[in-house]
Amino acid sequence: MKDFEMRESGQDKKLRAKVGVYVCECGPNIAGKVDLDKILADLSELDDYQDVELVVKKYGFLCSGPGKEFLEEEIKSNGFTHLVVGACSPRDHDSTFMSICEKTDLNPYLYRIINIREHCTWVIDDKEKATEKAFSYIRGGIARVLRQSELFEKPLDINPDVLVIGGGISGMEAALSLSGEDRRVFLVEKTDRLGGVSIDLSGLLPGQGEVVKKKMESVTEDKNIRLFLNTRVETVIGFLGNFEIELVSKENAETTEIMAGAIVVATGSELFEPANSDNYSYSESDEVYTSISIEKMFSGEGEAKLRSGMKPSSVALIHCVGREEKNYCSGICCSYMMKLAGFFKNQSPDIQVTEFYRDLCLPQKDDQERYNEAEADGVTFIRIKDISTKGTDVSFEKMNGEKGEQSFDMVVLAPAMEPSADTEELADLLTVPLDESGFFQEVHKMTNPVGTSTDGVFIVGTAHGPKGVSDSMQFARASAGQILTRLIPGEKLIPEVKVTEILEAYCTGCGNCLDVCVYGAIYSDDSRGISVVNEAVCRGCGNCFGSCPSGALRTKHFTNTQLYREVDEALR
Amino acid sequence: MPQTGNILVIGAGIAGMKASLMLAGASNKVYLVEKLPIIGGKVIKNEESFPNLECSTCMVAPIQQDVLQNPNIETLTYSVVEKIEGSAGDFSVVIRKKARYVSLTDCIGCGMCYEPCPVSLKNEWEENLIDRKAIYVPCSGSLPNVPVIDSEHCLKLLGKEECNLCVESCAFEAINLDDSDEVMEIKVGAVILATGSATIDLSTLPNLGYGTLPGVYAPMEFERLFASNGPTLGEIVLRGSEKIPESIAVIHCAGRKEKKYCSAVCCMYSFKFARFLKHKIPSAHVFNIYSDICVPGKSYQSFYKSVDGADTEMLYTSSIEDVKVSENESGLKVAYPDAAGAMEELNVDMVILAAALVPGDDAAPLAEVAGVDLDSRGFIATVLDGSGSMETSRRGVFVAGTAEGPKDIQNSVIQAESAAGQVMGIVTSGVSGS
Repeated sequence: MKDFEMRESGQDKKLRAKVGVYVCECGPNIAGKVDLDKILADLSELDDYQDVELVVKKYGFLCSGPGKEFLEEEIKSNGFTHLVVGACSPRDHDSTFMSICEKTDLNPYLYRIINIREHCTWVIDDKEKATEKAFSYIRGGIARVLRQSELFEKPLDINPDVLVIGGGISGMEAALSLSGEDRRVFLVEKTDRLGGVSIDLSGLLPGQGEVVKKKMESVTEDKNIRLFLNTRVETVIGFLGNFEIELVSKENAETTEIMAGAIVVATGSELFEPANSDNYSYSESDEVYTSISIEKMFSGEGEAKLRSGMKPSSVALIHCVGREEKNYCSGICCSYMMKLAGFFKNQSPDIQVTEFYRDLCLPQKDDQERYNEAEADGVTFIRIKDISTKGTDVSFEKMNGEKGEQSFDMVVLAPAMEPSADTEELADLLTVPLDESGFFQEVHKMTNPVGTSTDGVFIVGTAHGPKGVSDSMQFARASAGQILTRLIPGEKLIPEVKVTEILEAYCTGCGNCLDVCVYGAIYSDDSRGISVVNEAVCRGCGNCFGSCPSGALRTKHFTNTQLYREVDEALR
Repeated sequence: MPQTGNILVIGAGIAGMKASLMLAGASNKVYLVEKLPIIGGKVIKNEESFPNLECSTCMVAPIQQDVLQNPNIETLTYSVVEKIEGSAGDFSVVIRKKARYVSLTDCIGCGMCYEPCPVSLKNEWEENLIDRKAIYVPCSGSLPNVPVIDSEHCLKLLGKEECNLCVESCAFEAINLDDSDEVMEIKVGAVILATGSATIDLSTLPNLGYGTLPGVYAPMEFERLFASNGPTLGEIVLRGSEKIPESIAVIHCAGRKEKKYCSAVCCMYSFKFARFLKHKIPSAHVFNIYSDICVPGKSYQSFYKSVDGADTEMLYTSSIEDVKVSENESGLKVAYPDAAGAMEELNVDMVILAAALVPGDDAAPLAEVAGVDLDSRGFIATVLDGSGSMETSRRGVFVAGTAEGPKDIQNSVIQAESAAGQVMGIVTSGVSGS
């Protein structure tokens, strides 16, 4: 371990370490609550470090303009090898003091801030105890900083191009938002046409049906979008800024290799199969339809007819098909069922339309209006506790326990949206986890819904979860925003500096670390029988650190030696 | 780094902050204007946010720090936008930076100035559940952690008394009572409106007793009551008494009928409240009175299922608008029609109303200044081109978050990033320029 310490401390470079220890008075906030002169005197007398020269000083406000100039000058004139600042929370001023180091020859990772304000003077009333604690903290900080190493940013060249998987409305919107003179988009679609599911939807707002067609035209005309129809993604290797991708044509098995800096997954969703629920039994000849087939009729011929060619004179619209089985609410079905009710009423004003629903879920601000219109149009709403169908015969139980049976000319089911069949396969390929519902999992539900744990891979549209056309397109533009911000043509990417490293000599290749790494940053080098960290992908979270049985893993700037020495000295 | 465009973002809640960070990341200069003296918006009022009950402060504080430390973002707190003239790519904006009386650069946030101030007022940020001084920060953990002087109540500024106590208490000479408003003019290529929303004035719903019965709470009041950094340090005690409630009814859809829309987030936070209550007061009986469960999306229903029965008894009413709250000897009486329409009664200590989200008071004046249309409900309208565009009726002006309509954090963030993505489309396509 001795060798490690020497190598880590950087002392092999300089014979004698010279540590600057600067304590900020923070006006009365620190100076008024501790005996600062005693702390300075005690620090100066530390004789633990025989090879180390300590320069100990205090200053009024180190974060002020003059304070920063003072510190910069002190570092330069003293030629410090390390710096400790006893001041406030690193959240306030860690970056301030790191920037000062950057103006000098001192590597900013050979500096450490010690929080003696929030951790000592603001929480301890007894001056003597506060003094003792502040001293211990700083003593620990000196011990730690001596074991810190220089770290350097390693800027990476990036490829600004983007692979978009899926040519539905989300994929097209992402592609169109991203393509430009200095950024190509590879748009890969597994079928032989663009448009996805949205091509079959009957528009609700004026012009909405046109949106899909317009987007299809724009994509086809865009010379910066290279379209691959009938194509699947075969392999993906790499990380944000540098992915190598192999595409395979489904027609002739021809492969194309492309490079891209980011990947947008827009592979859409499918509908729950009603036959998989015990509640709905029907055969192919029955007049039972899923909502999407009715959408298709209205968007195609403009009419929804029975197999006989007649228009139905009664229709049952059944909500929440598969909601219980999937254990989530798809969020858009109530709204589109009311839209369909309106279409039926429009088609035959005397038609009897009955909506069987469990809860009205109307989360968009216009949704309730749609419900009010449907009610005004004479649509019957029945809130049910339970429902089952046999062909077009509907048996139901209302909330008050009352049971009923009714026969209709036509039954329309609103099935839950569920993950596409190829989701799992693609998730494996991209090393993106799936969530409890089987959709791609976002990196953070609230603050980063389009990002994934594999940086550079984004999920949009219904591949992320059930949602409507507008929301899907918003997700697409959000992913475009993230890529436009992160991958700027001509600029380099600066990966995390405080990453994990593997000491080859100690690694047994057990692979524990591979399992716990959520970023896919560790891979196994089978020829050498060890694990290897891809520093461009690692974020230094430390998960792997705890999983290593042989002590081969070390997170830079957060090593065992650094931590133990700091704690030892602070508690001594 | 070259500046490719200047952008104005109004409102420093989660939507405004996320949009600003994204735009700043692409080397755009962002002016982030916030009317309050602090940034963070509504999310930081929640102790925990649904669906995974994550600590809101832990989630938002790093975003706040990123905003304040980003060299491309100029955060203008306690400021209002007074004029937006010109057209997309070339807007002239007038911003009034209100006198704060405390220097953002000299103050270190020690808080020594609050104690000596002789003025005591209700703290609006804490839903009036606690007092504040005339010199104050709205909440613990305020960012920036620099107080402001309430010029409408400071004795010295009103000319009532020669009080100088805060100035004397400040070791940093950070307080300047001669401070005055500053008006600045800037040029921007695009504007994002992210000014958030409010909740319906519950006193306009007399059946529910808010404002007359002290045991009836607005949702944000309960959020603060539960918050460990709130007025009671997280202890749930009833207003006016020190009593811990033993039975609580959460009434859904307060104001839905009046507003004619569903606010989309109330079911989820009502279930969250049930979880909170049960967690803090294990013996409590919690009831949710509802007519429809709105839990859209892939992860909300499972949270509802985990609460249903375990943390709360779900009581269905066939008519949520006919629920009545009144007083009785033991506390509060909630009357509601059951599934068959028969009136049921429930005695409880506390009632929390899941109030409709409505446009903030400043939505209409802002729309006027920004020259954009409002929708029929008073939220800022988008162009409705069928693609979910965040552009408003005025080209180059975008909206994001609950300023556009009720929504959860996830959708607010998506709209913010989507609007920023659209703005970058304009900026990089050369409509704007530095």
